[in-house]
Amino acid sequence: MDINFSKEDLAFRDELRDWLANDYPKHVKDKMDKGEHLTRQDMVDYHKALSAKGWMGYNWPVEYGGTGWSATQLYLFNKEFGMAGCPPLLAFGVSMVAPVIWTFGNEEQKKRFLPDILDFNTWWCQGYSEPGSGSDLASLKTKAVREGDHYVVNGSKTWTTLAQNADWIFLLVRTDSSGKKQEGISFLLVDMKTPGIEVKPIITIDGDHEVNSVFFTDVKVPVENLVGEEGKGWTYAKFLLAHERFGIAAVGASMRALGQLKEIVSELDNPDLDKKVAEMEIAISALEMTELRLLSDLENGGHPGAESSILKIKGTEIQQGLTELFVEAAGEYALMYPGAGGYGSNDKPSGPEHAAVSLERFLNFRKTSIYGGSNEIQKNIISKFVLGV
Amino acid sequence: MNLSYTEEQIMLREQIQKFCESEYDFYKREEVVKSDNDFDENAWKLFAEQGWLSMSFSEESGGFGFGPIELSILFEEFGKTLVIEPYLANVVLAGSTLDKSNFSRKVELIEGISSGSMHISLAYAEAAKSYEYLTPSTNLSDKNKLNGTKSLVLNGKNASKLIVTCIKNNEFHLVLVDPSAEGVSFNSFKTIDEQTCAEFTFENVNVDDDDVIASGEEASNLLVEVLNLATLCVSAEAVGCMLSCYQKTVQYTKEREQFDQPISNFQVLQHRMVDMFIDSELAKSLLFKAMLEVDSNSEDKYKHVSALKAHVGKFGKLSAQNAIQLHGGMGVSEEMMIGHYLKKMVAVDAMFGNADFHLKNIA
Repeated sequence: MDINFSKEDLAFRDELRDWLANDYPKHVKDKMDKGEHLTRQDMVDYHKALSAKGWMGYNWPVEYGGTGWSATQLYLFNKEFGMAGCPPLLAFGVSMVAPVIWTFGNEEQKKRFLPDILDFNTWWCQGYSEPGSGSDLASLKTKAVREGDHYVVNGSKTWTTLAQNADWIFLLVRTDSSGKKQEGISFLLVDMKTPGIEVKPIITIDGDHEVNSVFFTDVKVPVENLVGEEGKGWTYAKFLLAHERFGIAAVGASMRALGQLKEIVSELDNPDLDKKVAEMEIAISALEMTELRLLSDLENGGHPGAESSILKIKGTEIQQGLTELFVEAAGEYALMYPGAGGYGSNDKPSGPEHAAVSLERFLNFRKTSIYGGSNEIQKNIISKFVLGV
Repeated sequence: MNLSYTEEQIMLREQIQKFCESEYDFYKREEVVKSDNDFDENAWKLFAEQGWLSMSFSEESGGFGFGPIELSILFEEFGKTLVIEPYLANVVLAGSTLDKSNFSRKVELIEGISSGSMHISLAYAEAAKSYEYLTPSTNLSDKNKLNGTKSLVLNGKNASKLIVTCIKNNEFHLVLVDPSAEGVSFNSFKTIDEQTCAEFTFENVNVDDDDVIASGEEASNLLVEVLNLATLCVSAEAVGCMLSCYQKTVQYTKEREQFDQPISNFQVLQHRMVDMFIDSELAKSLLFKAMLEVDSNSEDKYKHVSALKAHVGKFGKLSAQNAIQLHGGMGVSEEMMIGHYLKKMVAVDAMFGNADFHLKNIA
């Protein structure tokens, strides 16, 4: 056993650190370090800076312009960027729809969509969940009816993250209702500027506008925007979800948060809180080693499967647990949210600076145990595939 | 980075598993527990023949120079099977104290342990000094008279030599004492996990100068080192227990039928078993971290052993309690193995600092 990374991997890590020190856009870094909101332009700048370095296709094969990184390099990328406090990369284009396009799409679609994803010229969003279809995604009802060389789409999607910023949406639609619910689902790529699409904000309990309802009324989608075969969308949807797990443990980001928390707590003289922070430190160490064990397994030709659901469950529990400890550390200043500037404002209310950010993150992070396959669904997956019950 | 065991380590694990599966079933263990013997002499002989009693000692002491990874493998497997033989007392506590010391007669004593012919115990604990092992009340006078009481001396009843911690002239000492010497008396007790421990009283016991194993900083560093290793070992044992608790519980719920179906069909039980699985995997991860840190002798080794011990102290008991709950009434039956894991977990948490104690080490 050797827990140390190879010389090559350490050199790679240095390259990452070098970029973070010199090329991570400063206006984005400043806002992230202060816990402020990013604008659409900030996000575009950040992603384009990565494109310029050639790292946007971090989990892509070389033949499509990706990095071709090993599992260890991907791990280091995710960890170093998390520890540096970078914004999480928008997954919808680069790591969700892109693998579906290069695996199941035709040559024309690859040429048309992949380069723009790599250059971050298009912002994608995900049209999966519906008001009546959450964990039971296959029950979705948004309908697409073929009329000549178009599909006509009617229905609605919900919890669509950052749809207000998106240029394109990938959409699961029902093209056939006659068979089993998993059959008759198709995968469409839709331009958000198409007439008949309406985006309405859903404001979450942190006061933020992150997710949306998206309504489709007689939206005409050219048939060439169908990925793969009609009726096979469920296969592609599941394939995509397997790619969604990348970096879901968020070890780097949690380590950064732990470091900040320890600084705050060290001034408080609160032994009860100290103990909770120590428990959190152990939990993060256990998560990190679990991820490394899976990584080592992967690099040795193994195929870790449902075990990776542990990373989703514990990773999100830790992220949430950390936000709770920040709120505890805020003490009575936990009352002061959103403060005078109102929701979504970068104005800080009175009290310690960490207090306002902590409340917002605490409220916002409730989502983590719900998205990406709720933690209860993850437990069902482990039950079935690991315990065999 | 490569977190795979070597072929040699895999073979060691298979060898121990083979013994545990074919020669150490729970009913045989119960027979020994209910007899006057504290452990199975034949098993102990076999341990010696297999080289398990000597494997962790340095080559100059006649061992194979195996480290914390191999010891963790052994204890993990012992934990799964709830082995009661006094391995921790002899090999880890007494044996590695001697092995890591500069004591002039250490090789013959270690050979005694390695061959299984001699039992040695480390007397490190005192009733009034819970988890404060470097400031014992037991005293060695200027004239080398030992006075004091040591409790929780694992396997003390069977020991033909004792290593006793004491203070002489404000300095911490480790001294070798013969339990048959004048002024030594003891009572032996069963422990919750079916081992034995003794309380020794020393009244003006004569200690020769050449029975001093180590003194001062050398002695305290030695004890801290050995107890850290022992903490790693019992934690690895707990990891083995946690793995068995969840695996045996999954197996049981698949076989047990109620309401015309296996109870493993019920989601509330499934999710509880998933929690047990996750906690055991996290424990395994912390074990990997701790044993690698001890193996590389890093500065952080104490911290990572504490992290592991705190985790298994808390979640080990939880796992065993869940295992009992999901076994229903069978879980609390003495004749079923499953309930005995809880006793082991209580023992592991109690030894060498409980979960709260180790959490404070990290905070």
